[in-house]
Amino acid sequence: MAITAKVDGMDEISEMLTQLAEEGPKAAAAGLYEGAGTMAGELEAAVDTIKTAPFKYAVHGTRLPSPEEVDAIRGAIGIAKFDKNGTEVQTSIGFSNAGYADVAGQTKPIALIANSINSGTSFMHKQPFFRKGVSKAKPKAEAAIIKAIEDRLDEKNLK
Amino acid sequence: MMPSEYEALVAALKLTDIPFAEYAWRTRPEGTYGVVSLDFESGQLNGNNQKLDRSWEASVDVFFSRLADREDVIRTVEEILAEICGASWELNSSTYENSTGLFHVEWVCQVMDSGVV
Repeated sequence: MAITAKVDGMDEISEMLTQLAEEGPKAAAAGLYEGAGTMAGELEAAVDTIKTAPFKYAVHGTRLPSPEEVDAIRGAIGIAKFDKNGTEVQTSIGFSNAGYADVAGQTKPIALIANSINSGTSFMHKQPFFRKGVSKAKPKAEAAIIKAIEDRLDEKNLK
Repeated sequence: MMPSEYEALVAALKLTDIPFAEYAWRTRPEGTYGVVSLDFESGQLNGNNQKLDRSWEASVDVFFSRLADREDVIRTVEEILAEICGASWELNSSTYENSTGLFHVEWVCQVMDSGVV
């Protein structure tokens, strides 16, 4: 006595898996592109929350950043070139390679100005706009990444 | 009302040899000194029509002028962070201020305040 078992449709599944392997890294990059854009946008908005005061030397206590210092970091947030390794793709968002700005008669690296506002110094009051911005933007960036990946896979009928 | 873990952190830091102020010093002290601040609310779980298990990000900054003090400063602060915040803290930055000659070490930690269930 014997029974016959048959599996149908493996060709379609096999083709879908091949397509998925090709499409995976592209979908991941598309997701990261959207997520990085969302994160950078939120961080730009966080720069606008920094409190300022006209520049003066803090002789005893701490001072607020001057409007010129905040202007220097506004619009300077950049997204690094995507680093791809198989299906893994990563980037960084911040002030690296943002260049220099003239503030109070001195040329300073923009990354240094941003760090001194975010972490504070012995003479500048700390305003952690970057950490706060990242914390606020994370859920939005994650949602943007998932949506972009799903849209990409939908386009290719791979869901 | 301040989160209970933040209050414990401030109290423990103020018991050390390093003079600590909350948020800022009106006049910066001579020698080694620290600043502790509650920065922002970073997360919460909602339930029973109220906020439960809220978390905040806080930071601890220490400024010192002698490199030889670095190890003592780090050990003092990190023992307190480990005791109060468990694993929820990290060394965020370590910088040298050219203009003042001060070293600046900054830690970031998560502090909790559990609501009534």
